[in-house]
Amino acid sequence: MWGALGEFSLGGRDPGLASIAEPWVFEKLVSLDDAGELKPLLAARVERLSGDAILVELRRDATFTDGTPVTDEDVIRSLQPSGLRVTRAETGLLIESRGRGLPADALLLQAHVFRESAGKLMGSGPFVVAGKTDTELHLVRRQPQPGRVNDVRLAAYPTPRDAFAHTLKGDANVIVDLESRWLEFFRGVPSLRIVRGSGHGTDAIVFNGKLARSERLRLAQVLASQQVRELAYGDAECSEKDGSNQGASLPPGAPLRILSWGPFERLALAARRALGDRGGDVTQVRPEEALARMRAGDFDMVTGRPFRWPPSSMALVWRSDAPDNLFGYSNPDLDRAIDARDWSAAEAALRDDPPAAFICTRGQLAIVDARIKNPRLGPYDVLESLPDWEVDQ
Amino acid sequence: MTRRRIALLLAALVAASGVLPLLLLSVFGLQILRQRGERASQEALQAIAEQAAARVVTYISQQREMLRALAMAVGNEPDAERKFADVSLDAPSLGKLRLVLAETPATALPRSLTPAQIAAALRGKEVLSETYLADLVPAMDVCVPSGKPGRAVCTTLDLLELQRQVQRIRVGEQGYALAFDRTGRLLAAGAGSMRAAVLSGEPVAESSLATAFLKGAPAAVRFQNPPGRDVLAGWASLPDPAWTIAVEQPAEEALRGARSALGFLGLGALLTLVLSIVFGYLLARRMLATLELEERFRTAGQIAAGISHDLGHRLAILQQIEHQAATNDVDYLPRIRESLATEVGTMRRFVADFSDLTREVKPSDFMPIELNAFAESVRNGAQAYAAEAEVRLEVQHAPAPVWVLGDRYLLERAALNLARNAVEASNRGGSVRLRVEGGSGRAALAVEDHGAGIRPERIKELFESFSSTKRTGVHLGMGLPNVQRIVVAHGGSVSVKSSLGKGSTFLVTLPGSGAQSSSPSAPATMP
Repeated sequence: MWGALGEFSLGGRDPGLASIAEPWVFEKLVSLDDAGELKPLLAARVERLSGDAILVELRRDATFTDGTPVTDEDVIRSLQPSGLRVTRAETGLLIESRGRGLPADALLLQAHVFRESAGKLMGSGPFVVAGKTDTELHLVRRQPQPGRVNDVRLAAYPTPRDAFAHTLKGDANVIVDLESRWLEFFRGVPSLRIVRGSGHGTDAIVFNGKLARSERLRLAQVLASQQVRELAYGDAECSEKDGSNQGASLPPGAPLRILSWGPFERLALAARRALGDRGGDVTQVRPEEALARMRAGDFDMVTGRPFRWPPSSMALVWRSDAPDNLFGYSNPDLDRAIDARDWSAAEAALRDDPPAAFICTRGQLAIVDARIKNPRLGPYDVLESLPDWEVDQ
Repeated sequence: MTRRRIALLLAALVAASGVLPLLLLSVFGLQILRQRGERASQEALQAIAEQAAARVVTYISQQREMLRALAMAVGNEPDAERKFADVSLDAPSLGKLRLVLAETPATALPRSLTPAQIAAALRGKEVLSETYLADLVPAMDVCVPSGKPGRAVCTTLDLLELQRQVQRIRVGEQGYALAFDRTGRLLAAGAGSMRAAVLSGEPVAESSLATAFLKGAPAAVRFQNPPGRDVLAGWASLPDPAWTIAVEQPAEEALRGARSALGFLGLGALLTLVLSIVFGYLLARRMLATLELEERFRTAGQIAAGISHDLGHRLAILQQIEHQAATNDVDYLPRIRESLATEVGTMRRFVADFSDLTREVKPSDFMPIELNAFAESVRNGAQAYAAEAEVRLEVQHAPAPVWVLGDRYLLERAALNLARNAVEASNRGGSVRLRVEGGSGRAALAVEDHGAGIRPERIKELFESFSSTKRTGVHLGMGLPNVQRIVVAHGGSVSVKSSLGKGSTFLVTLPGSGAQSSSPSAPATMP
């Protein structure tokens, strides 16, 4: 990877790239299968109950790195900071959301189980941290398994060029979060293979919630177009079908300022062109500044990549007062649909009163050492299945 | 020599005289073909490299032309910055266009242009930097005039497309292209294994060749790259940007076609050679069989002629004896008895001659024979015959024992034959000497007489069958040919020296066998 490695601590202020390793050290109770259904991880069994509750039976062979078993108390304590309430039931642990409208499954998918010991957090995952520097996080498998990845070094290179060069030289075996235009570097390299996975985030132009609904509707129609998609992404594959509305136009008004950060500059420029006279300044800022201006409401539109999968995750972003709703968006119909766990209705509410123009959902791309026999990405965390990868020996 | 060996020899001779020249010609032709194949491959690689270089030049020219047009059209408009930003959507390869003024801070200036170049750009001159690697792709900083003094439009050209073009060049299955900048840094590599060097900037084996070629050195058209692979290469350079394009292909693949042709032709030539030998061998065997059959008939005819002649002679004598017996004259009885005894002896020798002819020489029957003792045995065997002819038989021993391996019976028959001939050739009161020689792995028995000698023209046909001139009724003409047959079969030879009026010497030479234990000595009998 390239960028800052950051701290390796659950819920840390500066998670950085090190957070990729969290699922290997700190297990979650559940993850998702390819169909979006909950599948047990640390849990031996998971069952959705009526309403929003989830019943989980803990796997009794799970232990923390010090060898002590994972207990119900550990789960109760671990899930509490994630906004979940865990109570003992007759056949397991009953998990519910403490926050109104925030689905328990969406919160549960982000919650890790841990235990604090001597000021440090222990996990029950297959790996344990063996060492860390500013640029490398070293993890080893607690119980080495033949034919599997037993030693992982998460290397944070300063630039993509360094990361690519080291991967091409064989110093690194996996590189994730690639743009399709960079695949050119890795094609024809016998020691590497390209691995694709489903994309769960959609590049979008998010509107300031203060914009009138009618304007947001028009904006969504104008921006979620093939023209914008082609301008912004060229021939990159987007899963969206052509949603352009040739007749859509914007009413006269003040130019709309577009805040852009990270890799979204072309998207912002494409959006501005699509807006015509209503396209205002495009300001490319650092992510922290973008966050600050969003919190201050100092934007008309901002680029981003909100989660679209699983459907319940939309509650974390679009529900009124949701923790990640930094856009001032509020839609009572959507809130009701989320509360009722009616995701079709929620999607309809989003279409009826769009918080954003959803432009392009792209698959995930990774380059993996060709000796790894069964690499796959996701389905939830990009490298969550790495402990199951088999190595050709 | 067996018929098979003769056939093989004949077939090999035919092959050597007929096919081998063709084979040599083929090898020569194949060599030329191989050289031409290599040259053609190199020319093809060269052409690809030149095409790639031409595309680079065209691409960069187009980019600069587009930049100039945009700068003139937009550079002086009030919303130039916004329009320039929009340009990057339509022409991402042009990079981010920006206006550069005298007051533009240094941090906003193109990083690879020198202050002097920036100053020149502000004076209205087009300037461009060397190629460098910006993040992941080759890039080049360019400033063009905007049409107003003190304003230039600058950008960083994104040469990703060029990199892609070079990297997508494929020659055969394993051939690829490389692009180098002026310093020999790899900018694009079609070979996946070399692509890390594009990003890391580490020199590759071809870097020094590229810089040398750019400076005018001859192109390295065939060399070994670091994995030790023999590669053919074509090179092209372009002055602006100072890039070098190399197109490489493993020689093994480039020359596969020529090599296959060479292989097929070589195999064809070899097959022809083998076939010619096989067919030649089969044909030669058939021909030899025919010749042998004819020879047998001829031999049988000669034998029949000889036998009928000799038996006719004997029959005439027997008829005379019969006539004498028919007179019932008792006085004839002693002559009749004597004549019959003579004829019986003659007929015995006649039969013995034939018996010798039918006995084959088999190495399994060989045993050690000491020639001095052997000569004595021969003298004993011929002594009675010599005495009857009043000829003295002498043996001259070698100073040391002389051993040979052989069929004692047949060798004695041969030696006795020579001794008998020598006795017959000698005058009454004359002498015949059996001389034994040895040393240096050689053994010899010479039979010398002091008779009338043999005419030179007769010597050359002495060993031919049925060539005897004696025809006395006891000579079938098989004696000397049989001697030669026996001696040659022992690995030896027979020669003769003769001087008219002085006598003849027949020399039997045999391979020596070194010291051996004494051989059983059996008395020789006169044939």
